[in-house]
Amino acid sequence: MGALIKDFLNGIWNDNPTFRLQIGLCPVLAVTSTALNGVGMGLATTFVLMCSSILISILRNVIPEKVRIPCYIIVIATFSTVVDLVMHAMLPDLHRVLGIFIPLIVVNCILMGRAEAYASKKPVIYAAFDGLGMGIGFTWALTLIGAVREMLGAGSLFGVQLVSDTAATFGVFSLPPGAFITVGLLIAGMNMISTRLRKAS
Amino acid sequence: MNESVRMIVVLAVIAMVSGGVLSFVYDWTGAIIAENQLRQMESSVFEVLPGAVRVEPLGTAPSTLVQDDPETSREVEQTTTQIFVGFDAQDKALGYAFVGEGPGYGGAVRILVGVDGESGEILNLAVLNHAETPGLGSKIEEASFRNQFKGKTLDDPIAIGRDIDGISGATVSSRAVAEAVRRGFADAAAAYERSR
Amino acid sequence: MELFLIFIGAVFVNNFVLVRFLGICPFMGVSKQTETALGMGAATTFVMVVTAALTWLLQWYVLEPFGLPFLQTPVFILVIASMVQLVEMFLHKTSPGLYRALGIYLPLITTNCAVLGFSLIAVQGAYSFIQSLIFGLGAGIGFTIALMLMAGIREELRFADVPKPLAGTGIAFIIAGLLSLAFSGFAGLV
Repeated sequence: MGALIKDFLNGIWNDNPTFRLQIGLCPVLAVTSTALNGVGMGLATTFVLMCSSILISILRNVIPEKVRIPCYIIVIATFSTVVDLVMHAMLPDLHRVLGIFIPLIVVNCILMGRAEAYASKKPVIYAAFDGLGMGIGFTWALTLIGAVREMLGAGSLFGVQLVSDTAATFGVFSLPPGAFITVGLLIAGMNMISTRLRKAS
Repeated sequence: MNESVRMIVVLAVIAMVSGGVLSFVYDWTGAIIAENQLRQMESSVFEVLPGAVRVEPLGTAPSTLVQDDPETSREVEQTTTQIFVGFDAQDKALGYAFVGEGPGYGGAVRILVGVDGESGEILNLAVLNHAETPGLGSKIEEASFRNQFKGKTLDDPIAIGRDIDGISGATVSSRAVAEAVRRGFADAAAAYERSR
Repeated sequence: MELFLIFIGAVFVNNFVLVRFLGICPFMGVSKQTETALGMGAATTFVMVVTAALTWLLQWYVLEPFGLPFLQTPVFILVIASMVQLVEMFLHKTSPGLYRALGIYLPLITTNCAVLGFSLIAVQGAYSFIQSLIFGLGAGIGFTIALMLMAGIREELRFADVPKPLAGTGIAFIIAGLLSLAFSGFAGLV
């Protein structure tokens, strides 16, 4: 049980895919102009990550070594297309904003990385918790970046206006350059916190 | 040999299951997606045709509404992809709305134009979708730009620099909108006249 | 003329890395030296042009006529993966020199979302065959330019005194932000 929790928490902080491992960065930058988009993208990725981790773990003794990469690709591509279609049907507005980055979940390095390094070697329950932890780690990172950019760029949070309509905001934070700068500063912040924690313990 | 056979079998089975799952999900969501797009198009038509309470696509029965598909329209070089007729509460035809498309800066700009059936004047214009630069080209969505088209008829030039002021810094996007209106207007008007 | 606009648009205005955020992983990972950056860029450009041709044919002659657009993502990614493999084997046989130069980058291209992203954008934009090829070439060159610029700056950065928490990727992101700001000056060019 302890190992399960450790796996789960690992993805959330120590091996956080965005801030620590720094993989799967394209959606991190592209869809985080608002906090809500960050949540949506994070949850979509979490779903694909958990489902494919579970399935790959179940099939780990069936899939021959030599064709494992194509097999993983098909599994992941199938789940991302399912998410793409379901989201198009159920949440058309969010789907329009996230656009091309939903099918691009398939090339998110987090998914292939976890499939290859973890799910293909561990029992189902561990793979599921690892996928969930990584997914939540990814989601909170995206939400945080989205929240910062939305507050600075549009003066609102989750669509709720925080400052008056006419107040000047830093529009650049809604645009591509702001994404890079926000992520850079947040990574620096995470490094500082981690160093402090290590010193304290 | 045995190993290769196993490889092929496993890959084939996974691929087949994947195809099966996807076609099932596609069938299931396809109808909902089509329905959503239809609802959205309808509400856009209401927006550009004030007073309309019911919308019908021109020439087809409501149950067989053609899907709004930019791909096919581009292949046959149509000037307008879709024409709708709006009816008021007394079920009298108020006017029509047509979808127009112009080449923008980040891709095609698609707009919906509502036209008064009697006077032939443009009532309102809505931008359906575009991929223009946020903050520059995206200003084509703003009312101050769109309102310039109100009241124009087929006899007006409807061109940037002549009777429409372009948005500074977004000339291509502004031109795309004007061109989308111009391209579809004559055909849509003719089709509407024929239908009455 | 239109082809030229597509090309310039893909290289500068909608630069894949700095404006569209595609291919960020290799952009951050393989941009420490200009030489490797050039190798990665060249290999990616090559694969992009080849995939442009293949995915275009598949989309308009297989997926679309048979009503299978929902298989797009799996089919495209498999095409890209096998293309990368093929290119690798082909180079290995025919041009060992080039293979040695590009070899280690080739497998990384499969998971470069710039390649898949570009195929999807080309299909959405309903580009013609030639337009797709030019678009692929422009996207690849734009990717290479971004990578080279970044690598050039990071080489110089070794001599700079960067605050500790920012060292490494932190400062790289800030630089990328400034580059992206510079590229936004191209907006309105086409």
